[in-house]
Amino acid sequence: MQNLSFVGKSTLRIDAYGKVTGATPFSGDLTLPGMLHMKILFSMHPHARVLNIDMQEASLIPGVVAIFTARDIPVNEYGLQKNDQPVLCGPGSTRVDGDLVRFVGDQVAAIVAESEEIASLARGLIKVTYEDLPILSDPVTAMAPGALVIHPELGESNICVHDKIRKGDIDQGFALADVIVEDEYKTPVQEHAYLQPEAGLAYLDDEGRITVQAGGQWTHADREQISHSLDLPLDKIRVIYPAIGGAFGGREDMSVQIVLALAAWKLKRPVRIIWTRQESIVGHGKRHAMTLKTRWGATKAGKLVAASTEIIADAGAYMYTTNKVLGNSTITSTGPYFIPNVKTDVYGVYTNNVPGAAFRGFGAPQALFMAESQMSKLAEKLSMDPVEFRRLNALRDGDTLGVGTIVPGPVSVLQVIDAAATKFDWQPGKLSASTLTKNDAFRRGKGFACGFKNVGFSFGYKENCWARIELRGISEIEEATLWHGSAEVGQGTHTVMVQMAAEATGVTVDKIKLVASDTATSNNSGSVSASRMTFMSGNAIKGAAELALKKWDKEERPAVAEFVFYAPETTPFDKETGFSKPNFAYAYVAQAVEVEVDTETGIIRILRVVSANDVGQAINPAQVEGQIEGAVVQAQGYAISENYLSKDGRVLTDQLSTYLIPTVLDIPDKVESVIVEVPDPIGPWGARGLGELPFLPLVAAITSAVHDATGVWFNEFPLTPERVLRGLGKIS
Amino acid sequence: MKLWQEYLRPNSISEAVQALTSSPGQACVIAGGTDLLLDIQQGRHSNVHTLVDITSIPELNQLEVRRDLLYIGATVSLNRIASSPLAIEHAQALAEASRLIGGPQVRNVATLGGNVAHALPAADGTIAMMSLDTQVLVASQENIREVPLQKMFLGAGKTALSTGKELIAGFCIPLRKKNQASAFKRIMRSQGIALPIINLSAWLQREGDRIVDLRIAAGPAGATPRRIASVEDLLRGNTIKDGLISDAVCELLDQIQFRTSPQRATAEYRHHLVKLLLVDTLLEAWDRAG
Ligand SMILES: Cc1cc2nc3c(=O)[nH]c(=O)nc-3n(C[C@H](O)[C@H](O)[C@H](O)COP(=O)(O)OP(=O)(O)OC[C@H]3O[C@@H](n4cnc5c(N)ncnc54)[C@H](O)[C@@H]3O)c2cc1C
Repeated sequence: MQNLSFVGKSTLRIDAYGKVTGATPFSGDLTLPGMLHMKILFSMHPHARVLNIDMQEASLIPGVVAIFTARDIPVNEYGLQKNDQPVLCGPGSTRVDGDLVRFVGDQVAAIVAESEEIASLARGLIKVTYEDLPILSDPVTAMAPGALVIHPELGESNICVHDKIRKGDIDQGFALADVIVEDEYKTPVQEHAYLQPEAGLAYLDDEGRITVQAGGQWTHADREQISHSLDLPLDKIRVIYPAIGGAFGGREDMSVQIVLALAAWKLKRPVRIIWTRQESIVGHGKRHAMTLKTRWGATKAGKLVAASTEIIADAGAYMYTTNKVLGNSTITSTGPYFIPNVKTDVYGVYTNNVPGAAFRGFGAPQALFMAESQMSKLAEKLSMDPVEFRRLNALRDGDTLGVGTIVPGPVSVLQVIDAAATKFDWQPGKLSASTLTKNDAFRRGKGFACGFKNVGFSFGYKENCWARIELRGISEIEEATLWHGSAEVGQGTHTVMVQMAAEATGVTVDKIKLVASDTATSNNSGSVSASRMTFMSGNAIKGAAELALKKWDKEERPAVAEFVFYAPETTPFDKETGFSKPNFAYAYVAQAVEVEVDTETGIIRILRVVSANDVGQAINPAQVEGQIEGAVVQAQGYAISENYLSKDGRVLTDQLSTYLIPTVLDIPDKVESVIVEVPDPIGPWGARGLGELPFLPLVAAITSAVHDATGVWFNEFPLTPERVLRGLGKIS
Repeated sequence: MKLWQEYLRPNSISEAVQALTSSPGQACVIAGGTDLLLDIQQGRHSNVHTLVDITSIPELNQLEVRRDLLYIGATVSLNRIASSPLAIEHAQALAEASRLIGGPQVRNVATLGGNVAHALPAADGTIAMMSLDTQVLVASQENIREVPLQKMFLGAGKTALSTGKELIAGFCIPLRKKNQASAFKRIMRSQGIALPIINLSAWLQREGDRIVDLRIAAGPAGATPRRIASVEDLLRGNTIKDGLISDAVCELLDQIQFRTSPQRATAEYRHHLVKLLLVDTLLEAWDRAG
């Protein structure tokens, strides 16, 4: 055991008071004197060429200050992974085919006026002439040779990603198999549904920098994209994050930032925008829908021998982070198990749907739903207990993943499996409680599933994180300031950073001041995503604190030091075999659930979820529990109620009254968090990542439990009452 | 966006009616605003000039026994109805429906009058009251007239109120007598957010094993909230037994042509569920009446 003073304590969140009392301003609360208001005209055409934008009538409305279109964007393109999206779509674009709209959320014009009402009114008067093009809403159709190309400027196919794994000999592998399970799975789109729709305020700061205050996940990446599109040097742009009402990956890609910056720059007045919930749902990316075909083989003794998989993911209209998301699906498609022979092909395909984007789990939830369903089905076929079968195949130290290299250790799959099974009191066979239900229509069942995911950025990205620490005082250190670039998206990252800074410097938590989320005061600390920020910032803080303490010992007052932590190197997939060392650290999770299915109405209740997570070292155990409970609820919505519907590229469920996220009355009766701590040798104080992990196994754990209760496997979700009844054969 | 031009808060029914009729543009009653404001904001409502807020009119806020009737003012909040001992005693189906509508915040401001006046075919409070032989008190400049609830609906979202001239003042429900009871049930996916997939309300009077009289309403079962008279006829006067109930189920399925609402439920699912709901609700009311 380490001897720790601040790390490992459930310190009160540093942002709690302001958020609970409502004093903390979020982007939409910000105002400045003389502020203008912006509205966006969205295309609402899934696929079309913009022939003309007639703004005459709109611009005559008193109070309309400016209407920006594609012509006004100096370099009309942006994108986190690939500059494939116009900032505004329309004629006069600097980019070839910048007059194409490729999904309903493409932006056509930005209207700036003295009030929000005037901006809305003017927006309604803009007449856009579209030449509609055929809509490609199905990735399988879109990937077929000869299909209309959605990005003619990029190439001749809609396939934008193809990852491959070839490990061992797949045919020989299947030849060794005594049992084979082959199935096709489908996973739905998921909307982030964060509390706070997109909003922001832009203005020129006292140094004349174009300053954008809008929630995001990576200040420096936002700045870079704004600077690219406006063709201005980085130091002319400043990005500041106010309090952010949730992100979950959905704020990685730009929404309002570039047009806001443009308007503030051109008009030299502050400009604010607030999206409605409908605009938010239409306007930002979603979790990728995937179709996953797979075939797994195991021996009679219960050893996995082969897995062959093809995944087709709907990338939607633009790349966003699809390439990275699918890299992650590729890696996790074998589950946290050792499989000697693996063949995997993962495709990302452009369509005219809302883009697939980063979302908690980043490609792993889909792949793990498939992998863990396969595991439970194989166990059933082998008449083995599903937990025992998982134990037999769990990755161990020294094992190779599908990518052919050894998993960075220590691997803790067995530990989380055991922790979850013990807490749940998992017994082979049927639940004894199944007889205790109200009446025959109610059936209970239990299910088990595992998950794993990389911590930090992968595939050869030079993963790094910056921090700066200043120690003040005379003989004793009396107070310290920590500068850091990271976003607090509600997960509590700033609190754990202060705890880690306290641990590293010996200064108490209350004497540490945090200056964060501002490109003018911080260097690049990277994104809050990939469950990376605690891991990466902790290492950066440790490094900066060590240097600062050395200076302190040399009597420097104040003692100031900066440090950039570089994670161990990773490598990209080999194009043909996938051979690589894609990640430097992983985290593991196992979940056991109990459900009750009303076989007359099809309604499923989650009675109990046990989630065992290896976090290496819980920096703040209460926050770990918060992340686990939050992830479970979000994953429950994905599994059961969030039924995202679209037709020909148009979003049908664009409100929270039709897109049903769980309410307090829907959530599991009980979520029990088990914190497992197997330290990661390069994690700060041993910490691993957490944010995404408890999301990963839940869907498969639920479908296994529903199978246990009803005898029916569901390969597609959400498990809406209708889908359940159809599966049970009660309706056709 | 400006949702209205003028907002008035009259203190009496006559002032309110006056305000409605004398508005220079379209005038509209607002109670809890939980339906109306969304409709205006989302462009489902024609332009409104004047909103007449009726929640400060004392008469509309009463919930009391008046002779042999339970009077519920139009602006009594759903939460108040849900927890009112009088409502639970005399209009249990309505109390049950009120408790299920929306979430606590919605129920704190949403009113029964608004639930009826919005005229949706599956509004929970309305469906419950359909089985309770409810009379609606409609106020105009001239008088207050009584309209049976069943006669209030002309089509989806359309009431028999003369817009801009009349408002609902309250509802009268006969007091419960011995061996009478009611029950309300509904099925929906996510709680507290939206209209139900399907709901059903039953009132009955029994005598030993026999149903002497009954009323059944279900929604959505057409363009308007609706009683299912032929099912009532089939059951009325008969002894409750399995065969009878399955006949009633068949009749019910014959009577209701369900619609598919793309984001809520398919017709087929509703068809399946209504059987369960009828049996459950009927038996619940039956047990209570015993
Ligand atoms: C989140 C949410 C969940 C909901 N869930 C449900 C649900 O589960 N079940 C359900 O049935 N409904 C539900 N609703 C709908 C709504 O809350 C109810 O129908 C409510 O009873 C409406 O009452 P109100 O006082 O808010 O009406 P308002 O919005 O004020 O008015 C609605 C309409 O009725 C008119 N009106 C109101 N009072 C009178 C009157 N006295 N005389 C004449 N006209 C009048 C108004 O002019 C308007 O046209 C929900 C709404 C929301 C926002």
